[in-house]
Amino acid sequence: MTKPIIEVKNLAKNFGKNPVLKDITEQVNPGQVIVIIGPSGSGKSTFLRCLNLLEQPTSGEVDFSGENLTTLDTKRVNELREQMGMVFQSFNLFPNMSVLENIKLAPMKVKHMADDAATKLAHELLQQVNLDDHADAFPASLSGGQAQRVAIARALAMDPKVMLFDEPTSALDPEMVGEVLNVMQELANQGMTMVVVTHEMGFAKSVADQVWFMADGFIQESNTPDAFFSNPQTERAQDFLSKILM
Amino acid sequence: MKKRLVLFFALLLTLVTGFTAMTTTANAATDNSLTKIEKKGTLVMGTSPDYPPYEFQATVHGKSQVVGMDVAVGKKIAKDLGVKLVVKSMSFDSLLVALQTGKVDMVISGMNPTPARRKNVDFSHTYYQGGYSIVINKSDKGIYKDKDSFVGKTIGAQTGSTMYNESKKQTSGTTVKGMTSVSDLILALQSHKIQGVAMEKPSAQAYVANNKELAAIPSNFNLSASDTSASVAFAKGSTALVNKANKSVDQIKRENLVNKQYLPAAGKYLKTNTVNTSMFHYWKAFLTGIEYTLIITVCSVFFGFILGVLLSLARMAKGGVFKTALRWLATAYVEFIRGTPMMVQVMFVYFGLGLIVNLPALTSGIIAISLNSGAYVAEYIRGGINSVDNGRTEAARSLGMSSGTTMRYVILPQALKNIWPSLGNEFITLIKDSSIVSIIGVSELIFQSNIVRSDTYRGVAPIAVIMVLYFILTFTASRILNYFERRMQHD
Ligand SMILES: Nc1ncnc2c1ncn2[C@@H]1O[C@H](COP(=O)(O)OP(=O)(O)OP(=O)(O)O)[C@@H](O)[C@H]1O
Ligand SMILES: [Mg+2]
Repeated sequence: MTKPIIEVKNLAKNFGKNPVLKDITEQVNPGQVIVIIGPSGSGKSTFLRCLNLLEQPTSGEVDFSGENLTTLDTKRVNELREQMGMVFQSFNLFPNMSVLENIKLAPMKVKHMADDAATKLAHELLQQVNLDDHADAFPASLSGGQAQRVAIARALAMDPKVMLFDEPTSALDPEMVGEVLNVMQELANQGMTMVVVTHEMGFAKSVADQVWFMADGFIQESNTPDAFFSNPQTERAQDFLSKILM
Repeated sequence: MKKRLVLFFALLLTLVTGFTAMTTTANAATDNSLTKIEKKGTLVMGTSPDYPPYEFQATVHGKSQVVGMDVAVGKKIAKDLGVKLVVKSMSFDSLLVALQTGKVDMVISGMNPTPARRKNVDFSHTYYQGGYSIVINKSDKGIYKDKDSFVGKTIGAQTGSTMYNESKKQTSGTTVKGMTSVSDLILALQSHKIQGVAMEKPSAQAYVANNKELAAIPSNFNLSASDTSASVAFAKGSTALVNKANKSVDQIKRENLVNKQYLPAAGKYLKTNTVNTSMFHYWKAFLTGIEYTLIITVCSVFFGFILGVLLSLARMAKGGVFKTALRWLATAYVEFIRGTPMMVQVMFVYFGLGLIVNLPALTSGIIAISLNSGAYVAEYIRGGINSVDNGRTEAARSLGMSSGTTMRYVILPQALKNIWPSLGNEFITLIKDSSIVSIIGVSELIFQSNIVRSDTYRGVAPIAVIMVLYFILTFTASRILNYFERRMQHD
């Protein structure tokens, strides 16, 4: 059996007195694509942000490649974050830099990559997301779909072992959703380990290895997409699916 | 403002007297005032050069210089000591503080050795016995006869001077208006804001001789000898230096040098002075003013910006005891600086820090304005940093960038772009506010215009000139800043 790359043990997170994550124990194996679905406010984003410690867990463990992130010093956490790319709903590109500079910044400042090597890498990644002709554009001039693809390329520039996606298509106009999902599908085909929060059920069905259904601070169900969508076990999941599949 | 200023001076003076009292008791046995000057080779004289013929600015061989009978007295003392005389200009109010903080070695500025002043400084014998006149507009000549004719009217006198105090004491029903410089008083007189200006007789004569619109009348103040005589002031306890200076002063008295040589010589400068009063004639003086104004502004913006960045980061520090203390200190600093007038800060740096290190006026001015500007810039930057979308910070952190790298490459550049207009405003404000350092004698635009005013006896023209010059400076600056602002617009 392969060793899991991410292991979550008894994770809990409170915001003040509000318990958002209650007790989550799950694992992600290398090469797996996990899709997390669940009602709004159920803590999906919070969970994802706990994985790379953008949010500090209240209790429990998050192990990455066998290291418990919650006990490491800042420096080591920064090093491990390099290996977990994250893509946000609102893109979060750096508006004062061109597309190329957005991608080059972290490799150059964190990995101390030479300028020309970083430029070469950035162009390769832009080709991968079909945007090489926009290398010198500034984020403000891009469409949402283009911006999100740049954001994916930027995360890939650190050569991560895992990619975390938090509703990457929710802020997009419908006609642009496809171009972003294609890029993600391509990544999955290449064997990237991915944890994706999304409402795109089509993507979950066709790409996910495993679907986690989250509600009330727990992972209520963890199953293959086929099993989950055809035969949800919990009442919570049945209820949720009946609402969104209408 | 004025009141607070006086209060501040009083405070500073007590502070300084406290210090000097301490040092003098320690020095009573070993008075090294004389040997110190001899070792140094220079004797620094403080004076307020807007009081002809005592001391005033004149253009000598194309260069602006302080001249007058007091300067001649200073030269004589220095010569008898075998050292070189250095003249330092500042406002009359600042002179005694400058003496006590060691900025100057002596003060010769038509100063009367009053008992109140004697408490704080030592005086030489008197080198000149004068009297008071009141300068009025010639058109009013029939109306006013002496100090008692101004019932219901206003007379002016130099703030901090004996005339000011005596005018207050010895008139009733008359308003006494104080201003720092005599040229301002004359201007007020000519624009009928006040009806007379009380000043020493030789000064009155000089003004009347150089301005056909003016006339002098006797004051008939009832005065003691100490109120009408002029002496050289030294730091308290410098007996050896005073004794030595007294030898020179006694000779000046004995040979009547003031009336025979010094006053006529000063009069000559006054004459050449009034020949060409066109503003173009003084372009060099104005150019120096622009130069210093720009030096002060650019340096202060530069250092103020660096300080502002550090302060804003300190204000946002979160974490252990050390960081909390840092945040607390930075907040206190910003609040304090923003809650006190820049003028007081400038004086505090020059005179207050002067007790510890002897900084030149220009350096003090730049330090004070940088310290001031830093507090304001810190707030702009803090606002700018807070305005950067937190999502960008998280994106950078998720890429493995440390908080420092994120701050430097992601947050600060965006914050700066957001606050560029505020920083530009700060720069333009500083061009104007740097004028405050004129009070400690830095030759920036205002200071230079005051010199031109006392030089030419023309009140309004130099003000108009610097107004235009300030506008050209600020307008050019704002155009340049706009250009860069446009270039930074990417979204
Ligand atoms: N920084 C925070 N401080 C306090 N409460 C928070 C914070 N972030 C999230 N919450 C709360 O935690 C709960 C879960 O939020 P979260 O964003 O994780 O939900 P979600 O499942 O991602 O929802 P959505 O589908 O709307 O994105 C919500 O009730 C939210 O109000
Ligand atoms: Mg969410």
